[in-house]
Amino acid sequence: MPPAPPDPIRLEVFKHLFASVAEEMGVVLRRTSYSPNIKERRDFSCALFDAAGQMIAQAAHIPVHLGAMPLSVQAAIDALTLGPGDVAILNDPYRGGTHLPDITLVTPIFVDAQPSGVAQNTDGAGERPFAFAACRAHHADVGGMSPGSMPIARELIQEGVIIPPLKLVEAGQINQGLLELLLANVRTPEERRGDLHAQLAANAKGAQRLGELAARYGLAEVQGAMQGLVDYAERMTRRLLAGLPDGVYRFADRLDDDGVDPQPAEIVVTIAIQGEEATVDFTGTAPQRRGSVNAVYAITLSATLYVFRCLLGEDAPTNSGCLRPLRVIAPVGTVVNARPPAPVAGGNVETSQRITDVLLGALAQAAPDRVPAASQGTMNNLTIGTSRAEPGAGDWDLAAGRPFAYYETIAGGMGGRPGKAGADAIHTHMTNTLNTPVEALEYAYPLRVQRYEIRRGSGGAGRWRGGDGVRRDIELLADAQVTLLTERRIFAPYGLAGGAPGQPGRNLLLRGGQEMELPGKTTLQAEAGDVISVQTPGGGGWGAPVD
Amino acid sequence: MRIGIDIGGTFTDFVLFDPASGSLQTFKRLSTPHDPAEAVLAGLARLDQQREAERGPAGDPTPSLAEIVHGSTVATNALLERKGARTAFVTTAGFRDLLAIGRQNRSQLYDLFADRPAPLAPAELCFELGERVDRRGHVLQPLDPAELAALVERLTAAGVESTAVCLLFSFANPSHEEQIGAALRQAGLLTSLSSEILPEFREVERASTTVINAYVAPTLNRYLGRLAEQFQGVEFRIMQSNGGSISAAQARREGVRSILSGPAGGAVGAFHVAQAAGFSRVLAFDMGGTSTDVTLCDGGVRVTSEGEIGGLPVRIPLIDIHTVGAGGGSIAAVDLGGALRVGPQSAGADPGPACYGRGGLLPTVTDANLALGRLPADRFLGGQMALDAAASEQALTRLAQAAALTAAPGLTLAQTAALGVIQIANAHMERALRVISVARGHDPADFALLSFGGAGGLHACELARALGVRTVIVPPGASTLSAFGMLAADVVKDYVQTVMLAGTVPFAELAALGEALAQRGLAEVAAEGAPPARIALYPQVDVRYRGQAYELTVPLTPDFVAAFHAEHQRIYSHSQPAAPLEIVNLRLRAVGSVPRPALPTAEPGDPAADAAWLGRRPVVLPSGLVDAPLFDGAALRPGHAIAGPAMIVYKDTTVFLATGDRARVDRHFNLVVAVGDR
Repeated sequence: MPPAPPDPIRLEVFKHLFASVAEEMGVVLRRTSYSPNIKERRDFSCALFDAAGQMIAQAAHIPVHLGAMPLSVQAAIDALTLGPGDVAILNDPYRGGTHLPDITLVTPIFVDAQPSGVAQNTDGAGERPFAFAACRAHHADVGGMSPGSMPIARELIQEGVIIPPLKLVEAGQINQGLLELLLANVRTPEERRGDLHAQLAANAKGAQRLGELAARYGLAEVQGAMQGLVDYAERMTRRLLAGLPDGVYRFADRLDDDGVDPQPAEIVVTIAIQGEEATVDFTGTAPQRRGSVNAVYAITLSATLYVFRCLLGEDAPTNSGCLRPLRVIAPVGTVVNARPPAPVAGGNVETSQRITDVLLGALAQAAPDRVPAASQGTMNNLTIGTSRAEPGAGDWDLAAGRPFAYYETIAGGMGGRPGKAGADAIHTHMTNTLNTPVEALEYAYPLRVQRYEIRRGSGGAGRWRGGDGVRRDIELLADAQVTLLTERRIFAPYGLAGGAPGQPGRNLLLRGGQEMELPGKTTLQAEAGDVISVQTPGGGGWGAPVD
Repeated sequence: MRIGIDIGGTFTDFVLFDPASGSLQTFKRLSTPHDPAEAVLAGLARLDQQREAERGPAGDPTPSLAEIVHGSTVATNALLERKGARTAFVTTAGFRDLLAIGRQNRSQLYDLFADRPAPLAPAELCFELGERVDRRGHVLQPLDPAELAALVERLTAAGVESTAVCLLFSFANPSHEEQIGAALRQAGLLTSLSSEILPEFREVERASTTVINAYVAPTLNRYLGRLAEQFQGVEFRIMQSNGGSISAAQARREGVRSILSGPAGGAVGAFHVAQAAGFSRVLAFDMGGTSTDVTLCDGGVRVTSEGEIGGLPVRIPLIDIHTVGAGGGSIAAVDLGGALRVGPQSAGADPGPACYGRGGLLPTVTDANLALGRLPADRFLGGQMALDAAASEQALTRLAQAAALTAAPGLTLAQTAALGVIQIANAHMERALRVISVARGHDPADFALLSFGGAGGLHACELARALGVRTVIVPPGASTLSAFGMLAADVVKDYVQTVMLAGTVPFAELAALGEALAQRGLAEVAAEGAPPARIALYPQVDVRYRGQAYELTVPLTPDFVAAFHAEHQRIYSHSQPAAPLEIVNLRLRAVGSVPRPALPTAEPGDPAADAAWLGRRPVVLPSGLVDAPLFDGAALRPGHAIAGPAMIVYKDTTVFLATGDRARVDRHFNLVVAVGDR
């Protein structure tokens, strides 16, 4: 007998219970992880899934992980037979991942104390998990051609070690051979080992707490609540769509280039809203590129889920039900659904922002009073590092002579909003990581920040002006390799309803009193005394300016 | 005579303690939000008259008013309501937007219309000075006296009331900040220097802390000045957010340290009561009308230096309190997807819950408790306020209809909805209690739950059950616990200094650096009036593995390295004893202990609580309707025992015991409940 659907009370109680489990997983991961990228910048997500791999609850951390996590769980379910004590690991963008630094661990959850409540496979092969816990964390280095594993690459294999769905833990035993093979292919193996153990601990916490809920409320009740919550999110999304005018809304925007070839790449979306459902069709989008701006399908799904989730309101549930009334069409072999062996690092961090921009641009036609103009539309990825000790480190005593890798994403302007200006100097849409404090940075690296300020006037004019971007100038105190993976250096963030576009960003190299313009995506060998100036885009304005 | 005074939203509480006789008494005045000093002064005046009267014809000397320990609600409100001073911010050239950029993140992921809290110093009052110091304190660019003189003129011309100065790496070399401070103060400008307030690295948090200090300083100054004028010869002490108190003179310079004084008083009071009852590990649970504060005490009140107030970061040590927007006044409603929601909207005090009969039509948590018979309608706030049960029932019936509920067997539609509202409210609070326990690495089952908010007694036992907590404590006079905690608080001063040294530095060198802090701490706590024999110093050190972004604090002893690895293992489940370390900060906590107020005590007597018996009332349990006894909390004596289901009505809270819960009154008149199984 299928479990009875929970009533409005159970729904709300279980929403808190499941959210609490996902949050506790996040706390364990943050506490037990080793690397600053997870601890300080909080670049990770945790979530719970039902037996079919539907996402039930997610601790709100990084939006770009949103739609991608269910595909990771699905990939693990498809590739492996997961039994008690097993944990799957993967990062292959073409098999459940998004880009290589994001490593996902998937743990099946079983009810051991209640044999009668355990669902059996039809072929009687054994127990089936009633749920899954999964977490995804951005690892600071997974090998590949440059420190930080966010290179200007031409094929995936240059970006780092590729992990298809495999069992990192089998029947409670860590697969040491697999672990050592992975660690032999990264630059900072001990840090990776620590972070992977933290991810295992997070999933174990999720499994333990969900098991406790099953013991406290009964398996049928928990499973019923899972389905109830997915249905609930679906109902909310259907209500949202029903409230938007039926119609076909099209929007297109461009990526500047791919870092290898200079041509722009167009992303086109057509959203057809009919009643309570919508089709989101990316047909017409540019073919995949040689450079790394290729997004896999999971990214496109994440961006789609994010924009509709935003329209639902802050306290709505975030789960697979939100996607049910949406049909997402992303033609294979384009920059929104790349095929192997295309490199993908920029797809995750840059193209994801542009996909969000076009989705919002289309939805603005359906809901003009609820959608802001374009925000900066880039994460301004900056990596400075060395693989070996460099001369000229001066009094850089604590870390003298050690290789280092400094990675940062830099905030920019938010688009003007109907009714209020866009915020200055803030991370928008698909990311929300923190900055590295200037004083922490200068202790850790042979770098000196000369300037970190709002780039005044960079936001687009409008009735509600776009937020201003940021200028961050960093002086190198030692020779180092600098990699920039940035967007919106050519094509500006759009304005809406008559608002002006924001100013595009700029990357400059200041050397010996000279100012040199750098491309949006580039790697260069810089010298001690050089200053890298990253000036991020302003948001577009909303509404025609009033004098 | 020592007096603790806490200003709340509705009442200003007074707790009097006579160290000579050990007597303890409490009273309340209605708060005067337009001028909080009014209620304080009125209460103190009443006390003066009472003492005059007690003096009597024989002229027996009554104990003189020696000391008042007070919260700093005025500073808190100035900050939260953004009614503080016109504040300027001065920093290193190139970093004028430090406050506005903050940590560059947004607080809400999916709200396209959310904004970060605006900086307390507006953009037009943020100024830069050409100067730069590196991380070792070496001056790269000296301060230009002409530029400084021009700045003083601009600040004066701008009509600035208070100025915060935070230069990069000023903790490593404060000389530039000191020069600026001297020039501004000479010009008569009230000035807060980051190197004085918080000489610790991470510029955004240090700047934010310093600006908050500057922002509340004039308000706090005026308020304390007024009290001091009225009560000359009385020593005023101010409760700090770290759970200790300091002299008013010190508090006026460092207002940011007392921003959370009210909740800190509550936590200290809760721990003191729990400890006296024999529990040193306790979850303090303060459920009020609009929100619930929870904190965890593990052998002492816990502080964190990663706090946030009103969305702004503060790095001074604060009691580690987590707040959720669910309380007795939280409104229940059905959302678009058909789920029943409780909060975050609150009916507040006006119109308040439907049962207040002041025009509120929406059902709240209080209405649900009333409809279930758990809150006796005729005894709310000691019977001073009649509750309208019919209004609650109507509101809940409307809610049940909107949610398409069907009445549970034997219950009305309103009661069915009410059970749901309670369950959901409890789910909110269970989540909050998990945040401060599980998320900090503790199992709630190892703790007792101490409930002291007005609305908490109705929910405490159910919550304890959900969390696996076996004991619930409800102290008498729970609502004055914060004022009581202020009396129980020691003199506590916290110091920090960023040093950022390699882990290989000899211990003797660290100890010498620590000695400078120790001398300062000793002198300043002694200046607070603590006798040397009662002063204790706790030197600490913040250590991390090289390359990590987070430090752990361990005692500064010759074994601190081993202690760090052990602590890392305990908290994070792994450690790397061979990995190189960084010594980040030296810390010192200097404590001058004060005599603790003794709690009222009586030896336990007969378990029969007949003297407190008020009759039987119908009450709804999840299993259905039963007749449950009602007891008068004020009439309970040590030794009395009550088995659930039952209600115990105090003047300021009602305790609900479900079937299986067994309460006993301990020798300090606390209700100690052995929580029944699920």
